[in-house]
Amino acid sequence: MNWLARVVVALLRCSAGMLPADRRAWMRALWTEAEEVPAGWRRLAWLLGGLRLTVREATLRHGLGYPVAFTAAAAGTAWSVWSGPPGDSAVTINRADVVTAAVLLAGLPWAIRRVCGPLAGSRPARLLRTGGYAALLTLVLVKAAVERVADAPPNNFEGPARAWTGEVVFLGVMVGYAALILACSARRSPAAPGTVAIGAATGAALGVVAYVLGPLGFPLRFTGLWPASLYDVAMALGALLALCAPALAGLAATRRVDHSRPGVSRMGQGALAGLWTGAAAALVVAVLSTATIALLPYDPGLRHWASSHIGQWTPVVSQWTPIYGSRSYLGYVAGNSAFAAGYLVVLVLGPLFGVALGAWSGWAAGHAGRSSTRPRVLKQVQGRLG
Amino acid sequence: MGHRSQFSVQTLAVLAALCATPSQWRHGYGIARDTGLKSGTLYPVLIRLADRGLVEARWEDEQPAGRPRRHLYRLTAEGLEAAAGALAHAPSSARAPAAVRSERSRRVAARVTP
Repeated sequence: MNWLARVVVALLRCSAGMLPADRRAWMRALWTEAEEVPAGWRRLAWLLGGLRLTVREATLRHGLGYPVAFTAAAAGTAWSVWSGPPGDSAVTINRADVVTAAVLLAGLPWAIRRVCGPLAGSRPARLLRTGGYAALLTLVLVKAAVERVADAPPNNFEGPARAWTGEVVFLGVMVGYAALILACSARRSPAAPGTVAIGAATGAALGVVAYVLGPLGFPLRFTGLWPASLYDVAMALGALLALCAPALAGLAATRRVDHSRPGVSRMGQGALAGLWTGAAAALVVAVLSTATIALLPYDPGLRHWASSHIGQWTPVVSQWTPIYGSRSYLGYVAGNSAFAAGYLVVLVLGPLFGVALGAWSGWAAGHAGRSSTRPRVLKQVQGRLG
Repeated sequence: MGHRSQFSVQTLAVLAALCATPSQWRHGYGIARDTGLKSGTLYPVLIRLADRGLVEARWEDEQPAGRPRRHLYRLTAEGLEAAAGALAHAPSSARAPAAVRSERSRRVAARVTP
């Protein structure tokens, strides 16, 4: 134990150089006081607290918090994706995918910074950037977990060429989402304060509702008149909510618009709120559903639930999914991965759908506002004239 | 209201420990024993308090025999005033340092146990 404590003290002495001069005295105080802490685990815990303090102070002082957190998260994702038998095309695709995604997500902040400036100082901006990047890395992780089984023999009946094409499209979509997150959390963001928060919160709630209604990406199957009828009603309400949410978010955002701010229009803010509603909903439902699909091979209870509540027809590949037999879990994941690929479509169409509805509601709100003020203005003009 | 949002529970515990003997210089491990805080929590609290001018720090003047020099801390006049205000508004559980709390609970347990 003592040798370990000595190693930590040596580490502390070396790392103290990373700290500004006014902090080094505190660090020296911490390791000299370790002499008074009873030897063993307690002294080691005291010294490890010093290491934590060093990392914290160094990251605060040098602005390293986000790079360090991203590097740790990306390394963890790569580590969990890397395992697999050599020569397996699914493993090769996953490795290429995670490395490219990490490089793109790491490089984008530098590019966006040149256009939109550094990260805004507000807490919502920090939350948006951290949460958005965490969601993107989680999606890379769970998608790789699905494809490790679904793209491996004997499930890769479509060949690796299609899988590689899918990866290129997926990476393109990831870049789009990352750029949106970075631009809207930057200091020169085109979004007014509150617009992104309204859109993202509405979208996240919508994504959770969509996930609850179809955790594996397609409608559940219920037996019995009442459960089936109730589920149909819930689905209809869910569809209505999906239609209304971007428009309502757009409307709420336009009401908060500060018209004195240059370059801010009702329609633009409505479109941005709708964009965020669609994007957040698509990202949340893609992460949650792909994670559920990734759990299928490992959770017999989940497979049992799925077999009693879902149909086995997979329209994307237009064939019956082989869910029975000795390797039934492979069939499940292969069939459901078609729906995981379907989330790529959701990730593309969700923001487009949202931006159209949000822009429309912003335009309608602006038009209604002008119409209501026109008679008053006309009366004022007429009064002055005559 | 203002005091409640100004300091965290851990900071209040440190302030309470320093307030107990405001004229005396205390060292980090002594405060850690009183408050039950770990070094990774205690030192950031002390650093922030010192940055705000509420705590002053210095090294022991002379080298004592058998141990290294200690880094010592105590409240400034401003810190004493801020601590008194914050502790007056804080719940009693936050005011009492961990050692005091555990001693108090031992006494209560001794009274209750037949």
